[in-house]
Amino acid sequence: MPHDTVTELSRVEEGAQHPSRNPDASNPQPGFETPLPGSSTRGASEHDDLRSLEAGLDRLQTSPDRAPSAWRRFTTSVVPPIVFVVALVAAWQLYVVVAQPRPDIVPGPVDVFNAMAQAWESGRLQLAVVTSLERGVVGFLIAVIIGTPLGLLLAEVKPLRRAVGPIISGLQVLPSVAWVPAAILWFGLTDATVYFVVLMGAVPSIVNGLIAGVEQVPPQLRRVGTVLGAGRTRLATLVVLPAALPGYVAGLKQGWAFSWRSLMAAEIITVGGTIGFGLGSMLNQSRELADIASVLATILVILAIGILIELVFFAPLERRMLRRRGLLQGGTR
Amino acid sequence: MSGQTAIRIEQLGKRFGAGPLVLDDVNLSIETGEFVCLLGASGCGKSTLLNLIAGLDRPTTGSIDVPTEGAAVMFQESALMPWLTARQNVELALRLRGVARSARRGEALELLDVVNLADAAEKRPHELSGGMRQRVALARALAQDRPVLLMDEPFAALDAITRDLLHEELERVWRRTGRTIVFVTHNVREAARLGQRVVLLSSRPGRVAGEWRIDSTEGRRIESPEVAALSIEITEQLRKEIRRNAA
Repeated sequence: MPHDTVTELSRVEEGAQHPSRNPDASNPQPGFETPLPGSSTRGASEHDDLRSLEAGLDRLQTSPDRAPSAWRRFTTSVVPPIVFVVALVAAWQLYVVVAQPRPDIVPGPVDVFNAMAQAWESGRLQLAVVTSLERGVVGFLIAVIIGTPLGLLLAEVKPLRRAVGPIISGLQVLPSVAWVPAAILWFGLTDATVYFVVLMGAVPSIVNGLIAGVEQVPPQLRRVGTVLGAGRTRLATLVVLPAALPGYVAGLKQGWAFSWRSLMAAEIITVGGTIGFGLGSMLNQSRELADIASVLATILVILAIGILIELVFFAPLERRMLRRRGLLQGGTR
Repeated sequence: MSGQTAIRIEQLGKRFGAGPLVLDDVNLSIETGEFVCLLGASGCGKSTLLNLIAGLDRPTTGSIDVPTEGAAVMFQESALMPWLTARQNVELALRLRGVARSARRGEALELLDVVNLADAAEKRPHELSGGMRQRVALARALAQDRPVLLMDEPFAALDAITRDLLHEELERVWRRTGRTIVFVTHNVREAARLGQRVVLLSSRPGRVAGEWRIDSTEGRRIESPEVAALSIEITEQLRKEIRRNAA
């Protein structure tokens, strides 16, 4: 220890000057005490001073994290859209009452609701929702299973990304409906056709989201990981992947949207064969019957399911993640 | 002084690609347990030198000997993982060091207590102030349990009051742990306040342009007259070095 003698000397002085503060001052011969480096009483009392000083400053520089209450969240994020929807339906009803349009072209909200109720009573609605939802979810999960390792691979292996990256981005632009004719020729009128189209829609989004997320990982976090002794694998799993999570979740969200859209497109176009009865099929059937109320009812159901999945699954996931990282407005500093 | 050399730098030169020399013929030997401040204006290659000591980069010429256990590094930005709590950030360092899972929690809390942050263990970085974040980063660097601690302007982004406190904190930790510390700064007062030895680097290329030893470092504060006197002396030399670049 480079400072032993110094410590000892100044300790004696301090002890003499501040008898009240220094418990060791009662010792008649403090100078003869064996010096304990780093744990001298002077160091200890000074440490206590520093501790309280630091605690005070810490308190001044931080404010408690207040998560908005459930009620506040309800009034700020749930009430406004509901009010808007109610107003929209009211305006629609008002238009039907005032303008009296042909009911086979512009049905009123009540007609649409009745069409929905009818489909429910016949069991067609439940069947279609279950079929479509199952395909959508299964297709999305397959897309996640394919897209995640692919995205990681492309993000971490630079030459591969330079080669494949632009094509993946291009695939994201290509409407996945364009694959329907090809898929029908390859797989016939089976569920495989539907899944193929869903995958072509969702996988590029997930891959791109993950790549974007990895690219936005602050370089100093990687540097710290290396300094802390992480090898390539542990750097990827313990640092890069969690750091890329916001981009990944955004990609998943978009991937779900693309899954759902592609699924509907595929279901509308491919009818018959062994393909089950989904919402898209129901939509197409109603069109053939020129039943505009049923068409609108089905569109509303498709929209509602999309919104519901977003609200129930992705929104809480994203909010939780962003709040934990302090990236959400309304969090502390 | 224990007299053992912890870091030996001999005839070190560094250039990036075909660019100009960043460091030229730097010779420096740092003893075990010593607190050395590397001081210099912009472009003196302070951070480059630190990266070389840390093994993040390779020298172009010359050699660097560091302890085989390597060095812990602390940066200007705390670079804490934003998704982990303060405790988990320290635990990450322990995990990467190979500490068993069962021992990590206790050790992390102990280290956080060393920097007076035991109460904030479950807070996430965004809930902490800049000074608290740097203390977590210090605890994390201590968790690496390396004999050498390299610090790259760790307090540069903090306000003066916080920085002053962290100087005391760092000095206390240094005395308690006996680490060899290489502290890079462009703040003359900070160097005079903290170091047992202040090494001034010239700019473009970086060379050792001056050295000051402080015999007694106990009880120094930023406002101490001896710190002020030393600062004046160092600043004069530093300005001379900077002026040479005008010609």
